[in-house]
Amino acid sequence: MADESLLSDDLLRQLVAVGHVDILVGIPTLNNATTVVEVVRAAQAGIGKYFPRARSVIFNADSGSDDGTPALVRDATTDDTGTVTASRPLRTTQRITTPYHGLPGKGSALRMIFAVADLLSADAVVVLDPDVTSVEPEWIPALVRPVLSSEAEIVAPLYSRAVSDGPLVTQLLRPLVRAAYGWRLQEPLMGEFGCSRRFAGHCLDRPSWGGGAMSDGVDLWMTGEALANGFRPSQTALGPRLLAHARKRPGLPDVFQQVMEAVSVCLEAHAGYWLTRGPAEPVPCTGALPGAVELGARPDVTGMAEAFRRDVVALHPVLATILSKATLGGVSAAAAAPGPLVYSDELWAATVFESLIAYHRAVMTREHVTQSLLPLYLGRTASFLLQYGSSGPAVVYDALESLGQAFERAKPQAAAQWKKA
Amino acid sequence: MTQLVADAVRQASVNFVDTAAMLLPRILITASVVAVGWVIAWALKWAVRWILLWLGFNHGCDRIGVGTVLKTADLPPADTLVGMIVFWLVWVGFLLSGVDVLGFTALEGMVRSFALFVPRLLVAIVILVLGVVCANFAWRATLIAAVNARIPSPRVVSGAVRALVLILAGAMALDQIALARTIVLTAFAIAFGAVMLGLAIAFGVGGGGIARRILDHWFPEHPSTEREEFRHL
Amino acid sequence: MSDDDPLWYKDAVIYQLHVKTFFDSDSDGVGDFKGLTSKLDYLEGLGVNTLWLLPTFPSPFRDDGYDIADYYSIHPMYGTMDDFKTFLAAAHDRGLRVVTELVLNHTSDKHPWFQEARSSRDNPRRDWYVWSDTDDRYRGVRIIFLDTETSNWAWDPVSKQYYWHRFFSHQPDLNYDNPEVRDEMWRVMEFWAGLGVDGFRVDAVPYLVEREGTTCEGMPETHEVIRFLRSQLDAHFPGRMLLAEANQVPELVRPYFGNGDEFHMAFHFPLMTRMFMATRLEDRGPLTDIIRRTPALPDTCQWAVFLRNHDELTLEMVTPEEREFMYDEYARDPVARLNLGIRRRLAPLLDGDRRRVELMNGLLMSLPGSPIVYYGDEIGMGDNVYLGDRNGVRTPMQWSGGWNGGFSSADPERLAFAMISNPVYGYQAVNVLAQERTGHSLLNWMRRLIRVRRSTRVFSRGTLTLLDPPNQRVLAYVRAYEREQVLVVNNLAGTVQAVELDLSSLAGAIPVEMFGQSLFPRIGTEPYLLTLGPHAFYWFRLRRL
Repeated sequence: MADESLLSDDLLRQLVAVGHVDILVGIPTLNNATTVVEVVRAAQAGIGKYFPRARSVIFNADSGSDDGTPALVRDATTDDTGTVTASRPLRTTQRITTPYHGLPGKGSALRMIFAVADLLSADAVVVLDPDVTSVEPEWIPALVRPVLSSEAEIVAPLYSRAVSDGPLVTQLLRPLVRAAYGWRLQEPLMGEFGCSRRFAGHCLDRPSWGGGAMSDGVDLWMTGEALANGFRPSQTALGPRLLAHARKRPGLPDVFQQVMEAVSVCLEAHAGYWLTRGPAEPVPCTGALPGAVELGARPDVTGMAEAFRRDVVALHPVLATILSKATLGGVSAAAAAPGPLVYSDELWAATVFESLIAYHRAVMTREHVTQSLLPLYLGRTASFLLQYGSSGPAVVYDALESLGQAFERAKPQAAAQWKKA
Repeated sequence: MTQLVADAVRQASVNFVDTAAMLLPRILITASVVAVGWVIAWALKWAVRWILLWLGFNHGCDRIGVGTVLKTADLPPADTLVGMIVFWLVWVGFLLSGVDVLGFTALEGMVRSFALFVPRLLVAIVILVLGVVCANFAWRATLIAAVNARIPSPRVVSGAVRALVLILAGAMALDQIALARTIVLTAFAIAFGAVMLGLAIAFGVGGGGIARRILDHWFPEHPSTEREEFRHL
Repeated sequence: MSDDDPLWYKDAVIYQLHVKTFFDSDSDGVGDFKGLTSKLDYLEGLGVNTLWLLPTFPSPFRDDGYDIADYYSIHPMYGTMDDFKTFLAAAHDRGLRVVTELVLNHTSDKHPWFQEARSSRDNPRRDWYVWSDTDDRYRGVRIIFLDTETSNWAWDPVSKQYYWHRFFSHQPDLNYDNPEVRDEMWRVMEFWAGLGVDGFRVDAVPYLVEREGTTCEGMPETHEVIRFLRSQLDAHFPGRMLLAEANQVPELVRPYFGNGDEFHMAFHFPLMTRMFMATRLEDRGPLTDIIRRTPALPDTCQWAVFLRNHDELTLEMVTPEEREFMYDEYARDPVARLNLGIRRRLAPLLDGDRRRVELMNGLLMSLPGSPIVYYGDEIGMGDNVYLGDRNGVRTPMQWSGGWNGGFSSADPERLAFAMISNPVYGYQAVNVLAQERTGHSLLNWMRRLIRVRRSTRVFSRGTLTLLDPPNQRVLAYVRAYEREQVLVVNNLAGTVQAVELDLSSLAGAIPVEMFGQSLFPRIGTEPYLLTLGPHAFYWFRLRRL
């Protein structure tokens, strides 16, 4: 059950005061002063408008902000509208903000949120990302209703993505989760999500979440845990996901490393499930997505394509240890071919799976395996954007669908290889 | 005169027979020591190989790159190699004890200096092996990092790193067995210095851009490459 | 009355009853004054000190007596004027004050005044009512009895004009722009006050005067009328009390107190609604909100607080969302809904939950104001929603498990309203006799509650300071009067709760629980931890020794 040592005496006192709730909104923060107030307001408005009779609490787990984020969360008010008699909502939404003293990283914050949800017997838990500037009050019912009506135990978001938005998700994570876990989940990295108390309790029972202090990776681990342990998934349309620009984000190599590590950890942890999982099932979806938002000028990827050609040649001796002869031959051929770069779906699927198996077998230092994959990922991204960068949503959808199918076709062989190792 | 010769011969043959009679048991003992030693060494070799296989030693060696080196050098796999080393170490030990029994002082002197030399040789071999491992690791790490940091000519850079490490290890090994010390030392100093000087000149004169890029990679202010321009997640 | 305290009404614990359904002494199926007199010992034993009687005037009873046909006598079915005088004297002997109804706004259409007024347009009493050739004067004024009336004007076929009525169409409004009306109503007051009545509950106060282009509620001229009546009362009968029925938000009731020169008391309707809302939501928000919005009163004035009365539980002054919530929680069956309200008694509203009944009464007795207990609620009587209008909450008092619940020895078919007879709330299950014999019956508990309430003036005259503990399910406040302080803590939830109270301003005091005199740990500067059972409440007298 809940790990009580996560909770300080002061927090426990606040929890005593709050008591049983129906809905818990968790917001893990670290220096989000510029954006967190709108997120809290949206959450409060969402609860007030769509669940006026529900007992609710907004719980903020802060990992040591020095820009006053916790105070902002505590003091954020909603706009006062209406007549004298309508000046207060039916129920008071409680608000708790507390620092947590575990390892830094989103994993510890989520663990604390789940522990509080467990103690307060919350029927539905929603986790919001404090960095997102496009949060709407409507996100709350979208993420909560499927849980409260017992249609699903984990509710993943659906974002309207431009074609160049999130290739790490669209080209790698999405088709991989589809093939391996057998669910057509659009967003395996759930920045926001809703879940049931049963799922929260299940995660709390796991001694360590994906082996230690995971940061972005814990989202993926959570997805894997849900899918591998029979928690019914659903997804709900939220709209565009715009992040605050001022934030300093880690560079691509670090992000890629973390994501690939997370993927590998998940595949190790859930091997018993995905090795025998059959073809992918569709995930029920609620709501309709508005049109995708272009995030700015479409990036020019010709430079990326050129870099890919050079990098494949340079890394050839390393790649020879990771990839099979056939796959490496295909990659080298693609890099050497004249004209626009074409990195086919089949080739990319084989690349990804073989890299993961090499990681699993530790044919060399594991970090080297993932870092060697990075130029190939960039090449694949460049290839995809060169081909579909100006296409309409329907064409892009079909292209991504065929990518997913390619991954599914590559899976049986990959599973066999994995078992041999 | 004939009598003198005959007496001398008789005396010499008596001496010889005496010495032979004295030596024969020793030879027999030496032979048995050597034979028993061989059996023990052989048994130990197989025991060590079995233990190493059970521990996955080959797999570990593959990981750090030694396995590949052995393959390219047409050497047997790592566990067999270790087994062989163990075998020879043990059997040579028994051989030396056997020789000791014989009691040839001249031979003893040779054996002693050989016995002093063997540990240094072993250490040198270890240094070389470690050096090769480190060189491979450094080569791969540098290659991948250079590729991802968009440093030009990544192969050249990583090759240079590997060469440097190998040179260092080789020099240390040769120094360990005290082989042509002064020559090796001087040659190493010249080679290492030349490589470093060359790198410094290349870096300082022609490599401003590279330097800037390396620094940008280590201390990024904003995404300067197009791959950072869009949101990957 | 022997007690000459002019502010006696501040310490009043009022018992509201209907003579018609209290006790029948002459077996005609209808309660009467002789019967009421015979039950005065019971009322004295209950611990109340003031009685408020629903109207007992002659009336055609189309609005249960609020349609008056003669202001100067008693309806024969209740007895004679002498019966009334006997009752009054007996009540006063037992220290019970009596407050009667004064329906100022309208009369029955059977009243001689109206009969005269409608007989012809030249009749001298014509101007005592409000007439119009068309029915579009005072356009837009809201209709109060939405379920039965479609207009505030009714056509009089006799004099061929419309007459104004804010309530039922058989209750024409008096015209207070006519000084004769005002003077006559003073004479009515004078008559009853002269008999010894201690106070008047004035029905439907806001609607006395109409003006074009307004809501016709709370007009300045209405206040002038009230001031006139009050000044007359003070001059001739000092120490008598006027209680206003003005169903408004507290900010709009405030004007009816004037500067202490209009009403002495007025009902606090929204507080009642919020009490039901807060205990159902298990959240003190609605209550603290209304308490903070309640304006201060002149020193001589007092709110009248209540849980239920003879009318429906009004939901007029809440948001549509709150009304939906109240309907869903308290009146799922639409038959219980009437005129934007719920016509149920206290016990059925609270699902017969003894703990919640106790909590609500605890709140009633500890919040500022003079509390009113509705007859039958002290034993937890039920209601009959299938009787028309609001009669379901006006069934006969249940005295025993016997014939007609001990109310009357008439044939059951003759009773004005049938006894409640279902197994849960019927007279066999819920009656005074049974509860007097049971140690921890609701009746005995109410007697204890009222005794403790009256043991100190802190509740009736003291200030209220809200505390703000983090646990929203707990409502806590401090009542203070002169040097006395009482800490009240209420658990609005049906689950056990723990609460930490910041009582640092009371540091050094020793809380003594008022019902059992148990001592509690001394208050310090650290947060004071209390645990409360489901719907429990504590009253702590704070001693400094």
